[in-house]
Amino acid sequence: MKKQLFWWGERALLVFVAVVALFPILWMFLTAFKQPLDAYRVSIFFTPTFNNFKAVFDEPWYLGRMVMNSVIVASVTVMISVPCASLAAYAFSRFRMRGRKFLFFLVLSTQFIPAVVIVLPFFLMFRQLGLLDTRLALIIVNLAIVTPFVIWMIKGFIDAIPVEAEEAAMVDGASRLRVIRDIVLPMAAPGILTSSIFCFILTWNEFLFALIITRREAVTLPVGLVNFRTERGDLWELMSAAGVMITVPIFIMAIIIQKHFTRGMTAGAVK
Amino acid sequence: MAEVRLENVVKRYGGFTALPKLDLHVNEGEFLVLLGPSGCGKTTTMRLIAGLEEITEGDLLIGGERVNDKEPKDRDIAMVFQNYGLYPHMSVADNIGYPLKLRGLGKSERMAQVRKVAEKVELGELLDRRPSELSGGQRQRVALARAIVRRPQLFLMDEPLSNLDAKLRVTMRAELKHMHHEMGITTVYVTHDQMEAMTLASRIVVMNKGRIVQLDTPERIYSEPADLFVADFIGSPSMNLIHGQIAGGTFTAEGISLPVSAPDRAKVVLGIRPEDLQISDASTAPIKAPIFALELTGESTLVTLRAGATQLCARGAADFRAKMDDTCGLAPRPGGRIHLFDPESGLRLPS
Amino acid sequence: MRDRGLPFVLMAPAFLIVLATTLYPLSYSLITSFREWRLTRQRRPGDFVGIDNYTGAFTNHEFLSSLWVTTVFVTISVVATVVLAMALALLLRRTGRLHTFVRIILILPFAMSPALIGVSFRFMFNPEFGVLAQGLGAIFPFLKGVAWLADPRFAMGILIVTDVWHWVPYMTFMCLGGLTAVPRETEEAARIDGASGFRILWEIILPQMRGVLVVVAILKTIFALKMFDQVVTLTGGGPGASTETLAYFVFKVGFHWFDMGQASAMAWILTAIMMVISIWYVRLLMSERKLVTA
Repeated sequence: MKKQLFWWGERALLVFVAVVALFPILWMFLTAFKQPLDAYRVSIFFTPTFNNFKAVFDEPWYLGRMVMNSVIVASVTVMISVPCASLAAYAFSRFRMRGRKFLFFLVLSTQFIPAVVIVLPFFLMFRQLGLLDTRLALIIVNLAIVTPFVIWMIKGFIDAIPVEAEEAAMVDGASRLRVIRDIVLPMAAPGILTSSIFCFILTWNEFLFALIITRREAVTLPVGLVNFRTERGDLWELMSAAGVMITVPIFIMAIIIQKHFTRGMTAGAVK
Repeated sequence: MAEVRLENVVKRYGGFTALPKLDLHVNEGEFLVLLGPSGCGKTTTMRLIAGLEEITEGDLLIGGERVNDKEPKDRDIAMVFQNYGLYPHMSVADNIGYPLKLRGLGKSERMAQVRKVAEKVELGELLDRRPSELSGGQRQRVALARAIVRRPQLFLMDEPLSNLDAKLRVTMRAELKHMHHEMGITTVYVTHDQMEAMTLASRIVVMNKGRIVQLDTPERIYSEPADLFVADFIGSPSMNLIHGQIAGGTFTAEGISLPVSAPDRAKVVLGIRPEDLQISDASTAPIKAPIFALELTGESTLVTLRAGATQLCARGAADFRAKMDDTCGLAPRPGGRIHLFDPESGLRLPS
Repeated sequence: MRDRGLPFVLMAPAFLIVLATTLYPLSYSLITSFREWRLTRQRRPGDFVGIDNYTGAFTNHEFLSSLWVTTVFVTISVVATVVLAMALALLLRRTGRLHTFVRIILILPFAMSPALIGVSFRFMFNPEFGVLAQGLGAIFPFLKGVAWLADPRFAMGILIVTDVWHWVPYMTFMCLGGLTAVPRETEEAARIDGASGFRILWEIILPQMRGVLVVVAILKTIFALKMFDQVVTLTGGGPGASTETLAYFVFKVGFHWFDMGQASAMAWILTAIMMVISIWYVRLLMSERKLVTA
């Protein structure tokens, strides 16, 4: 009897947690398909419409440009930071050289610098160089937040790979670089992929830098959201449609790698 | 095939000295076993030979050439690791063929050699599998096959059998021995299992705390242990070691009074193996004590007596029957060996 | 191992990035923090003014108020996150289809853009047509007609809720990682010894989780101190200055008032606070490896 009560209680709690986690997201998705009139009423039953998605890509919102900006900035950031970070992570994980601890400490601590400190000088610098409101500027600042984090995360994955296979390859006749190419990279591939997606998500969601550095040309999706606050008030149904555009790609990626995702999220931090 | 020489080799990790000073000569074609408890420096020694660790001081020569500064890949060695060190992302065939690939062999020639070796270790059917789909014994064979696929100068094996179950270990042991006989390649083998060492080795190096305690043939290590450490480490059950004194040609300790041909000594350790003791009439036997435990092993019965603070073990006949706590007598078997050691230094006393 | 130069070669590209993108701007802003530089009046940096900008910060009552707002925000959000994350980890520890489902669901709030979270909560708490404002009003009559985001206390509450909603999943995964390191045997031994469920939690599990919980708390503190996006998209710092956190206030000084010197000084005060906490954290990670294995 008591056991059964516990069983149901546990189930009810789990469902409650799922509802709390999902509700704000679901509500946004619902709103994205509502007519403006329905959006301003708390209604669950309504005639769905795709007009909002059409509207955000049209004048005057031009969400398409922001999607492009977000895709380019996030991809390029990943393509630069992940290869560099992987090499550094391997060095941190496998070599016991002098100064290793200090260097790693340095990398870790940069992760905790508040972004506002970095963005001030960058803003001044880009203003000087005429780089304000460009994707290049955004990529540079995003590298700052993402690179230390990715080093940290990939190191966690490489630490978990046994050294024996590498040593075997060296004895079998492989040079260090060959070992990295033939043994380490394939074995670390899931970890590197996970870190890449993490890195992509961080950059994709980045708000502060984009808010300060971009104006019109290089505006990314999260900043674009702010545009839907007009003199006529907040255009919730359009905002929600844009919100769906922001979240869907990220959610798909996150779910695809969900098994590694949870491990990756904690790998660097706890170990 | 090559001989290996370690001359005045020192290995330090920061402030910790793993090997204070090591001299070792591995003869051409021999099967040398490094034996000792964990942390004795045997694995470190092997990793130095492989080039996986750097030598702090001293020289390492393989085939007469100094190789201290050579990369592992240039030392022409093959190694079998404790956890096999297989490449999890490659098939069995690719695992075995990798050393050949690194030497630039073409795919068809590679596959031909791989197949030949795989047949030899009975892996022919499994070439397309991944390591994760194999049993422990099969993985072990893959590791072996990868080591023998090219004929290296030197084989290194780091506790290769320790992850196998007891039965498989015995089979693989025989296979290793046969393989060495067939190929005749110089082999250095690390283990903490004295049984493995005794059965495989042409010579055994017993190590303790980073030093070589004894280097000798298995027979001599067994029959003439150089000190108390070796005496205690080799043999199962291990040698009885009894603290006592010698006066007028008789060794005495609590419950024991045994004639020995040795000069008087106030403090001495007498060693006698369980198989060198036999059960004899309690009234006349030189060793008399109550029975502490009786263990039937199948081919014999292990009788443990409690004489004062020491326990004495003897190997009796399988049909020996007695009651616990009964007094039992033991006597040295005719022709059985008695060992004497200095309790201070631990060294063997000449007899 | 050998090849001594190699590790440094491997690290070089990443270190170049880190140096160029963090250390350089950091030193630049440190220098700026000792100068007079209002972008509205001068294009080039002005004179060095010693520690004027720092003393200016501590006599600026808006800055002090934002310090207080930050303290309140960080304290409540850290405590709430740690407690909820630990509770959720205990709930999700067992394997089951519903458990796995909830674990996957939990990734979503973490993956959602914080700016968007702010926006969507603002929508849901709109007093006229927000679903949560209406729903809460219907369930609890005394909450009917509350102008949520226009009331300082509720605004702060909602800001904290968005932050907790965003971070609890991540921290739950960390706690779950920590729980796997707690050997089942200790718990089973305690059960056989006759301990109740609550005592097992309090006397067996939590003490073994201490290390992980400390890490979770410190990490969350750092993230809470950095929190910025939702302030912009949810409350805009308001009503009044009641939700102006330090990070937001620095942004305001720098990019609304364009006082670069003053903003840099304030940013460095925030950095100093975070550095102390992070060094403490990194030390803990590096020294007490055993304590925090997960």
